[in-house]
Amino acid sequence: MNRDEIVELAAGYALGALDAEDRARFEALLDAGDVEARAALRDFEATVRDVAAETAEAPPPAVKAALMARIDAEHRARGAVTRLQSTLRTTAPRRSPRTIVLVGAMAAGIAAIAVGLVVSTVYDRRIDQLGRQQMQLQQELTRQQELVTILQDPATRVVALAGLPAAPDARGRMLWHAKVGGLLVTQGLPPAPEGKAYELWAISGKAAPVPAGVFTVDARGVGSIRVAPVEGGAGPDTFAVTLEPAGGVPAPTGSMYLVGKL
Amino acid sequence: MQGVDVPLSDAPASLLARIAQGDRDAFSRFYDAFAGLALGLIRRILRDPGAAEEVLQEVFWQIWQEAPRYDPLRGSPEAWLVMRAKTRAIDRLRAMRRREKTFVASVDEAVASAPDLPTENPGVAAERRGLVRSALDGLPEAQRRVVELAFFEGLSQSEIARRLGEPLGTVKTRARLGLERLRNAMRREGERQE
Repeated sequence: MNRDEIVELAAGYALGALDAEDRARFEALLDAGDVEARAALRDFEATVRDVAAETAEAPPPAVKAALMARIDAEHRARGAVTRLQSTLRTTAPRRSPRTIVLVGAMAAGIAAIAVGLVVSTVYDRRIDQLGRQQMQLQQELTRQQELVTILQDPATRVVALAGLPAAPDARGRMLWHAKVGGLLVTQGLPPAPEGKAYELWAISGKAAPVPAGVFTVDARGVGSIRVAPVEGGAGPDTFAVTLEPAGGVPAPTGSMYLVGKL
Repeated sequence: MQGVDVPLSDAPASLLARIAQGDRDAFSRFYDAFAGLALGLIRRILRDPGAAEEVLQEVFWQIWQEAPRYDPLRGSPEAWLVMRAKTRAIDRLRAMRRREKTFVASVDEAVASAPDLPTENPGVAAERRGLVRSALDGLPEAQRRVVELAFFEGLSQSEIARRLGEPLGTVKTRARLGLERLRNAMRREGERQE
């Protein structure tokens, strides 16, 4: 291959316009460490980058926030899967049908000499306990997977909710997807008084607020609530949190604590 | 980007190597350094701010997941990112055109009119935009068309040849001549401004 041809391939490669066969030829040159090919490519890449940089602009912070949240959720989901796998590994031998049969047979044998009932009960209880534990982990995994699914969808938006005079230090963050709903996480809200709870509202323009769920917070003011999608209309553009009677009310009556716009 | 073999901690290649290990902080820095570059290109191709932000997120998610596959022999990290941004934006453009043909301005229009978009530093960006614009405008029409069809419409060289009714060899030569002239023009302008 002569120099002209190498430079021509480098130009097409930098533009991302080579056909598959040419691309394979040029990549073979690069992989072989061809000095001319690398130099020509570096040169054209800089030009292409300058063309691309022509209209560089700062992205809105929500894009990065959503990406970092996706990364964190992925990390947590991996942790949950690992925990679940290790739990299944430790419990599997006891839960396999063969083992249960053996345990049953053993229990029956021991019952024949009048102590079996006690042993059988102990094993049953242990199996029950492990079953519940596995179900809890499965639910946690499902919840995490649901969250990851929401986060992985580029249509997911992150809405920051700011504290109002009733709780100026409170903050909230809503991950919102028009089709699958969202997840609100709050911090810094004062614990709700007896008989009261926080209620989330989805508001679309000038329409009446739609109740989106009731939640409480722990001693640190941390709370979270899974939110169903809002049916019909243009979808909500604002989310707000008010303090209401514990069962929730159809229209807001109490003070507003948090508000944020999509 | 020079010196890939001896990466500094914040050099793009070094950041990508750390991202490949799952380093969240390196990803954050890489994003801060290059998201603006990617978004500008994506918006130029798509001209729909909402869709452009979605594509930007997809592109960087892809970076997070595919960083282990980055091969420094095949180009700089910036070029790797630019190519992903371009490919994703063009995929989206084609999908949008299929759905709603009038939704997106034609590429000719997108390229011909300078986008009226907010920028991080309007003064510097306008200066640079003028530089690239005038360099592009300075290309002979036939070369400019090939560069734009390749870069902003994502056509391969054989697709461009078919579109323009020209031999493939001519298209290849024009792509090369076009990029060389663009490079030289921008170098001259850059030197003059220094």
